[in-house]
Amino acid sequence: MRARLVLQEDVLKIVDLLRRDHEVVAPFYGRGRDTFFDTVTDENLDRVQIHIPNPYYPPKRYVLPHIEQLFRIRKADGSYEIQSTYDQTKRAIFGIRSCDLAGIYHLDRFYLGREFRDPYYARRRANLFLVNVVCTDTQVDINDECYCLCTDTGPAAKAHFDLQLMDLGKGEFLAVAGSPAGEALFSAPFFRKATEEHVERRRRILSEVRHRFKTTTGWFSATVRYISQEKVLEKTWEAIGSRCLECGGCTYVCPACTCFTVTDRPTGPNEFERVRLWDACALYGFTRMAGGHNPRKAVHDRRNRRFFRKLAHYFIQRELSMACVGCGRCAEVCHGDVGMPSTIEMIRRATTEYLAHESAAH
Amino acid sequence: MAHTLTTCTFCGVGCGIYLESQGNRITGVYPSMSHPTNRGRICVRGWNVHEVASSPDRLKNPLLRKNGHFEEVTWEEAYAFIARRMHEIKVRYGPDALGFYNSPRCSNEESYLLQKLARAVIGTNNLEHGTGVYCNNSVDTLCEMLGVPASTNPISDLLDSGVIVVDGVDLGMQLPTIGGWIIRAKLQGAKVIVIDARRQRLAETADFHLQLRPGYRVALYGAMAKVIVDRGLMNLPFIKAHCENYEDFLRDIQAFDLVSVAENCGVPAEDIERAAIAYATAPSAAILYSTGVAARGKGSIRALVNLALLTGNLGKPGSGIYALTEHNNLQGVCDVGLLPDRLPGYGRVEDAKCRKRMESLWGVPLPTKPGLGAQEALDNKQKKLKSIWLLRYDPVNTAVFCNAAETLAEMELVVVQHLFMTSTAEFAHVVLPTVAFGEEEVTFTSTDRRIQLARKVIEPPGGPRPAWQQLTQMANALGVSWKYADSASIMAEITQVVPFYSGATYDNLGREYGRPWPCTTEHPLGTPRLFEDMPPQQRFKFGTVPKPFASFGPTPDYPVAVVFGSSLYYWHQNVLVKHSETLKRELRVLLLDYPEGFVEVNDEDARTLGIRDGARIRLVAPHGASTTTARVTPEVRSGTIYVPFFVKEVMRQITGEGAFEAVSRTKPLFVRLEKI
Amino acid sequence: MNPQPTDNIYLPKLARLERVVDEIDEVRTFYWQFLDPADQQAFKNFKPGQFAQVSIFGAGEFPASLPPSPTESEVFFTVRRVGRATEALHKLKPGDIFGVRGPYGNGFPMEAYAGRNLIFVAGGIGLIPLRSCIVYALAHREKFGKIQIFYGAKTPRELMYRPLLHEWEKAGGFECHLTVDRSENGWQGHTGVVGSLFRKPGIEVPTTNTTAFVCGPPVMFRFVIKDLLDMGLKDTDIVSTLERYMKCGVGKCGHCCIGVAYVCMDGPVFTYQQIKKLGEDI
Repeated sequence: MRARLVLQEDVLKIVDLLRRDHEVVAPFYGRGRDTFFDTVTDENLDRVQIHIPNPYYPPKRYVLPHIEQLFRIRKADGSYEIQSTYDQTKRAIFGIRSCDLAGIYHLDRFYLGREFRDPYYARRRANLFLVNVVCTDTQVDINDECYCLCTDTGPAAKAHFDLQLMDLGKGEFLAVAGSPAGEALFSAPFFRKATEEHVERRRRILSEVRHRFKTTTGWFSATVRYISQEKVLEKTWEAIGSRCLECGGCTYVCPACTCFTVTDRPTGPNEFERVRLWDACALYGFTRMAGGHNPRKAVHDRRNRRFFRKLAHYFIQRELSMACVGCGRCAEVCHGDVGMPSTIEMIRRATTEYLAHESAAH
Repeated sequence: MAHTLTTCTFCGVGCGIYLESQGNRITGVYPSMSHPTNRGRICVRGWNVHEVASSPDRLKNPLLRKNGHFEEVTWEEAYAFIARRMHEIKVRYGPDALGFYNSPRCSNEESYLLQKLARAVIGTNNLEHGTGVYCNNSVDTLCEMLGVPASTNPISDLLDSGVIVVDGVDLGMQLPTIGGWIIRAKLQGAKVIVIDARRQRLAETADFHLQLRPGYRVALYGAMAKVIVDRGLMNLPFIKAHCENYEDFLRDIQAFDLVSVAENCGVPAEDIERAAIAYATAPSAAILYSTGVAARGKGSIRALVNLALLTGNLGKPGSGIYALTEHNNLQGVCDVGLLPDRLPGYGRVEDAKCRKRMESLWGVPLPTKPGLGAQEALDNKQKKLKSIWLLRYDPVNTAVFCNAAETLAEMELVVVQHLFMTSTAEFAHVVLPTVAFGEEEVTFTSTDRRIQLARKVIEPPGGPRPAWQQLTQMANALGVSWKYADSASIMAEITQVVPFYSGATYDNLGREYGRPWPCTTEHPLGTPRLFEDMPPQQRFKFGTVPKPFASFGPTPDYPVAVVFGSSLYYWHQNVLVKHSETLKRELRVLLLDYPEGFVEVNDEDARTLGIRDGARIRLVAPHGASTTTARVTPEVRSGTIYVPFFVKEVMRQITGEGAFEAVSRTKPLFVRLEKI
Repeated sequence: MNPQPTDNIYLPKLARLERVVDEIDEVRTFYWQFLDPADQQAFKNFKPGQFAQVSIFGAGEFPASLPPSPTESEVFFTVRRVGRATEALHKLKPGDIFGVRGPYGNGFPMEAYAGRNLIFVAGGIGLIPLRSCIVYALAHREKFGKIQIFYGAKTPRELMYRPLLHEWEKAGGFECHLTVDRSENGWQGHTGVVGSLFRKPGIEVPTTNTTAFVCGPPVMFRFVIKDLLDMGLKDTDIVSTLERYMKCGVGKCGHCCIGVAYVCMDGPVFTYQQIKKLGEDI
């Protein structure tokens, strides 16, 4: 490991260092438990938090914005001028959690892989510097809904960061470089030598932190199996669907959700912009065709779709990552408590029972 | 980048959301996890609030009609024109020839100033919010029975309810955050009773779906009350200590025999009985109904409040009456006096004492007689009105109870304040452009009485002005010296005028999550739950209940009952929907499937009639007939059809004279269905 | 002129509408060309069964199948007016500029069918995507065995590409059989659903070494599939193009994903066996 030691009072100097040539976003408190990533300025630098509840608005918005202009179109001389609008700002996310990092990796696989490379995503991603902060504060960093242990995405990311910081206690942080760009920072004087003792402390803290999580064994594998083998009963989906109010929240907050819709909007007398916006397969109109036919009319068909896309073995293999990172946001955002943890549980219980009953009957 | 905690203004729940803005654009939105009402959850509409970009269709400058077409003019010229014309009309016809009407989506500040303009400057009580015909029965009934015209408990209390009664409001569609609380309450063991002719979302998993025939609510509640009394399940200590008219009530409900009610309203007797027992024996039970477009007569509201009084379901967590407001500020506009017969704070216009208090606060004598409500004004049968001022209100599009276009065309002065050139604005003499959500700092009051700030997060485009500012400048143009430097100073005045707002300031509203009224010096943090400390002198009144009608019901010629209502995808023609790709798609899917509108027919009835989904059918009523398209669905009760409010032509064609009655559901309409 | 980085997969290229032909009610054919001849040249390598994304700027973008065969000289779309974007297309006049991206999708693997008998079964506007492979097959007649076209519509008025149908009926070397559900206006031909043509006396449908191309409304599709399977064709012998709501055409937006397949990339052409495996409702 390319590791260094940083004293607690020097941690924010990393932010300053990055600010020289990046727009840096870091977590801040809003009202009550609300937290968000916001641009670091001279004015708010001292309010940047290391240990803080994970911001609800997922940091995937820095590579896939909630609303993003694709191009500007202008009518001119009987024809059109089209201008692609890329965001190539150099940006650093200071304090991205391991679960969200896994989400970014998943998005990388999806948007940059396969036949087509998304140019907007590619540019944002290429200019992004990621500073992962490991969740170690059991009061504040981790909450009851977190389950990164079940998805094997946390609390300390193994890769995909440029720099990783971990609070070792006693006023010391371990810094690990995950890329050449990260390692390049080590030339700054406040990165000191780390010893075997620090690495040992890291190991010990991580094994202790595991106890904080409500769920350590996920029932993911059983549910992945059931879904991939299409063993889940229709009435299980109906029970899940009956609690869904079609708000789209689970998709919007999910670090690993990727769907969007595209629309043209007027911006002036002879100009338009084409924008893309987060979309959700939870919504009725997601698959409705212009002629009126909608293959997923019923809400439980849409729930079925979501969890198939998230958990079916085919997709996990294709992206080499599961489209669930264990962040727990969908559990918090859902009106009817059918986020991933509850749904996994409902599917596992109902299907196991059904299959046991079936095999007993034979 | 800025993240501002603000209030979503789509519906009466008033969820806490953060708007992210950058470079004078709103770039994102997400829920507040800490807000007590929504706790991290919002609905699809809230998630798409950020899509309302500055549309080039927005009005920039005031428009004045000159020689048959609109010309852009300066604000001064617009105000001068209006002032001159208003003065002329007032001199010629008297102050009651002018009327002022707004939308229940208007902020507290602009609404307060509108009614003050009408009352204190012009001298008329001709004012109301556009949905008065639907909700004012609720205001009157709750005032009469509880002393407070509003929901009694906070939305978050629903998690503590043992039994939740949802009467006729499709929460999943209209107020999803509340629907979510109920789903979660059910997961914790609460029982859900849905009373609705329609098999709406929550009904699918409800413990009881009392799918009654339209028009029989009073009977149903009456029968439930009688079951409770017959079994001795009423809360006698509570009734003895706090309720008046109990003896009359006891006598009245004797007429609601369970078996005959069950037969008339089409709900099995044992279901009514079990639902009543569940409600009465729960440690804490709540009743929710809507004051939105699903209008109801006073009788059915009295009947459900009676149940709460009968069982002592007030004041404790998980209990209460929720008079739900689907429009985001219906509660607020009523609180600040957009009612023709009530002053800000609900004092009656005819009550000399209330009037005197207002006169001393405002320093002018006030008109003594109730004025014309929106429906009467836009009907204008006696041609009393010559001038109409419309604030964010688009009756040509949304008012189903009259032909607004006809009425407006005859007006001598029509002033419209709005964001866009609406159908109504086409009839205006002057159009004044207002700013949009997020472009001004104002307050709205949620359905559970929470007065909340909606923050300014971006600058409006050059041109439009906040409606409250326009009203201030208009008063000045009329020769009256109003000096409101900002919206906070208007709230400062509201707190002097409306006693239960007295403790609110922008400062304290902005510190946490607003304040539920009453917010006074005794309750500086507000009062989430009414009647919590139930003082011995607290009094409620049982309401008189009309006798159950034997049958006003179906006849062989007209066997099908008509239910008017907000169909699944009606989000009140909210302007936000038109400018959000996602919401437009979600709203319109049903409209796209049935491009000429539709009425909903039960699937079994459709089979009997021999029609399929999408077939053209004729509805024949005593007063008229209409041809439309059938949407066949099992959601609708057999023997009823459901006519969405936005299918106006159908409504007008079949209701004829009975329009208002049909709309307020005191007398259901019956039709015959014919295959074409 | 578009001086843009060529890596923007979402960027349409400008095209000019050359002429418009009315087909049936609400359906028109739009002949067009890219403004830049290089774009046109690159595009001409499209495969039968592929589609393109058509942009009417300000109104939106929609997928349109490519009915021409790459063997023909002109390129066109045949589009029904159903929504906002297609309505805007229908309002265009020759000379107007719009945008095109593509070609996308997998297309029919016509080379793989060399030596086989081909039967084309289409209903209503289902002929639009199949036209491409029919014309292609006829242009490479010697590569294939028996070729039969079975096409029907509700009424004679709703038969697509009438002039072409006349040519096909008269031509030798392959069969073209037409039918309508309901005859009108002196229709002299066969009456009945498309499937009834299989049982018409004198018509012999080969059932071995045969590929059947089927495209039409869902009800027709189901019945024809049943007929073909009953006749002895296998799941893998039947191909169709699947219609789904598409937004990006390049496998990113998620709208067309059904089961494990993205219709815009893994399709829109699927064998019946693949369609069954997708698991969801079509």
